[in-house]
Amino acid sequence: MRLNELNIGESGIIKKIHAKEPLKSKLLSMGITRGEKVKVLKHTLAKNTFDIEVGNSSIALREEEAEQIEVEKI
Amino acid sequence: MKEIKIALVGQPNVGKSHLINSISGATLHVGNFSGVTVEKKEVEFERGGYKLKLIDLPGTYSLHPYTPEEKVTKEFLLNEKYDLILNVVDSNQLEKNLAFTWQLADMQHPMVVAFNMYDEYARQGGEIDTDKFFTLTNIRAENVSAKEKFGLEELFSKVIKTYEEKNIPRVYYSEIVEEEIENLKEKIKDCEFSKRFVAIRLIEDDEDIYKIVHEKPWYSDILDILKAAKERLRIEYDEEDTKTIMFEERFALSKGVVTQIAKKAVKETLTEKIDKILIHPILGLPIFLFIMWAIFQATFSLGSIPMDYIDASFGAFGEWVGGLLPEGFVKDAVVNGIIPAVGAVVMFLPNILILYLGINLMEQTGYMARAAYVMDGVLKRFGLQGRSFIPLVSGFGCSVPAYMAARTLKNPKDRLITMLVIGFMSCGARLPVYVLFVSAFFAPEIQGNVLFAIYIGGALMGLIVAKILRIVLFKGEPEPFVMELPKYRFPKVKAILFDLWIKTKMYLKKAGTFIATASLIIWFLSSYPVDKKELQNIPESEQQTYILEHSYLAQIGKAINPVFEPLGFTWKETVSIIAGLAAKEVVVSTMAVLYHTPDSDETSKELIETIRKNIPFATAVAIILIIMFYSPCLAAMGTFWAEVPQWQWRLFYTIYPNVFAYIAALIGYMIAK
Repeated sequence: MRLNELNIGESGIIKKIHAKEPLKSKLLSMGITRGEKVKVLKHTLAKNTFDIEVGNSSIALREEEAEQIEVEKI
Repeated sequence: MKEIKIALVGQPNVGKSHLINSISGATLHVGNFSGVTVEKKEVEFERGGYKLKLIDLPGTYSLHPYTPEEKVTKEFLLNEKYDLILNVVDSNQLEKNLAFTWQLADMQHPMVVAFNMYDEYARQGGEIDTDKFFTLTNIRAENVSAKEKFGLEELFSKVIKTYEEKNIPRVYYSEIVEEEIENLKEKIKDCEFSKRFVAIRLIEDDEDIYKIVHEKPWYSDILDILKAAKERLRIEYDEEDTKTIMFEERFALSKGVVTQIAKKAVKETLTEKIDKILIHPILGLPIFLFIMWAIFQATFSLGSIPMDYIDASFGAFGEWVGGLLPEGFVKDAVVNGIIPAVGAVVMFLPNILILYLGINLMEQTGYMARAAYVMDGVLKRFGLQGRSFIPLVSGFGCSVPAYMAARTLKNPKDRLITMLVIGFMSCGARLPVYVLFVSAFFAPEIQGNVLFAIYIGGALMGLIVAKILRIVLFKGEPEPFVMELPKYRFPKVKAILFDLWIKTKMYLKKAGTFIATASLIIWFLSSYPVDKKELQNIPESEQQTYILEHSYLAQIGKAINPVFEPLGFTWKETVSIIAGLAAKEVVVSTMAVLYHTPDSDETSKELIETIRKNIPFATAVAIILIIMFYSPCLAAMGTFWAEVPQWQWRLFYTIYPNVFAYIAALIGYMIAK
């Protein structure tokens, strides 16, 4: 499943980043890498923008970007 | 004295600039990186018999740059000469930050790490063993807090020691990767970079390094080995992309090192709690709008308190100077030309400081990034994205830094659209004009709201224009939006006061030099030529009006005025508006000169009265609309031109706001009438 399918408060383990370069490097360098735990802290009302927690940082990204991140729900 | 040149590198939000500000006895130079308009901060100071020179490089997440600013950092690290890398790390985000540290270590330069924000980390029960870190990586490190000023001196002695010993990092990846690096190193011959660095960057497809290596005579010798190496890694890691493999390698290394050197801190939960409210799915947007509204209310109501005092002091100052000077041209120019005009501009300093303070607080506390998150959905609808929000809000302060802030946008289309609409965000310099006209024409209870409406109206118009530009001129998808939301931090009072002090100094300097000169010119053009013979035939009470009506300025104004006549402008308004192209405050100072009558003991506060009496309401509306939309000042235009190399966009930028402003003013004038 993809990150944008998680609901607020749900977590997953990152399986694969499907994004193309240079977005992929950007996501990786922000700590969004395989095996990391990711939690959806919040999203806006229309689910346009997500606030996720990876490691010790919180990152805002759009639905389109969240869709590029494959996760396994835990 | 021997100089140690140090490149200061780190990921965004690690407190690098904070660190620079905390060094005692340092001198700061601000300039630009050569060829680009990214701000370059350099500090120099003496320690242990050396002159240390720190160059603050733009924050970057990795050596695979994403934004133009990140490219600046990489180019500097690759091409410039420096003795040592000082890598600043946020202690609270060790794993992520160290993954970048390893990339820097690959370069095989002498290097020192500063674990910054250690105070916060320690308060949450965290600890970092820097000796252990040194044993593991051969990189000297120090726990520091730029905020509480500890560890800095120890850090600099480690910097000097590392420099003297030419201490090179020894950071190793897993055996499989190291094996391939060794294979490649054998084939790499002479190169300006270390062999290890070149080997690693080739494995992870660094195009900048490829380009350099491509020219080397030994390039063809390594191709086969490189291909085989990458193939083996792909199979070993079950991952197609070798760049991803290296990212994962570094992350794994970070985790390993962190478990050995650090005692984990308890998770900070305050940020999450605050965010529960501030970026709540439903409440987030109203809260943001309320905060903006509150800032504008404060700008107006608090800002008007010291106005009378400033006004009175300038009035008294003018009289005092008038008493000292002999009758004649000089006295006239100073007392009637310069002093009231400069006074009229300085009067608005409190308003501007409050507005800057608001923007500054948003930035320092970390709310600005949240505002970008909250606004992203809205901005997306207008063909922009959350990241555009920061340059747009900076535009409320001043367009010049706003144009530069647009550099964080990677996609050239997004960047250009954002830059083209920054002018719609009314800058601080336009505030005096609004305050003047709003005070003159609206009841005191609603003035704050009218001002807010002007700003919001301008911003909304900007968004609509952005949408039109996106549809008509820049088809295509907007760039991805990915942005770190930094932890909430208590703003540092000293830093904010210092910033406001700089702003005050600059504003007063501008008022004292540029505005004073401009008003002197305007005054001269409005007082001459005088036909003494004619003047004798006119009663004394009408002489001043007569001089003004026959002045050079009136002649110029009257020549252009037909263009502005549909808006109800007289030549005085026309001249003021055109003078505003030099700088927006000049509109106010020009009006102060043009509506000045020397026989009355007029002070700048009374300018508001005079304006109310002389300008009809509909014309005032037209003036406000023109100020909202027409070209910004010359400095801002110059910045745009420097940032955008294409001639067609420069031309477009120079013309379209004025056409837009004229049409808007015409519509506004007709409605108000």
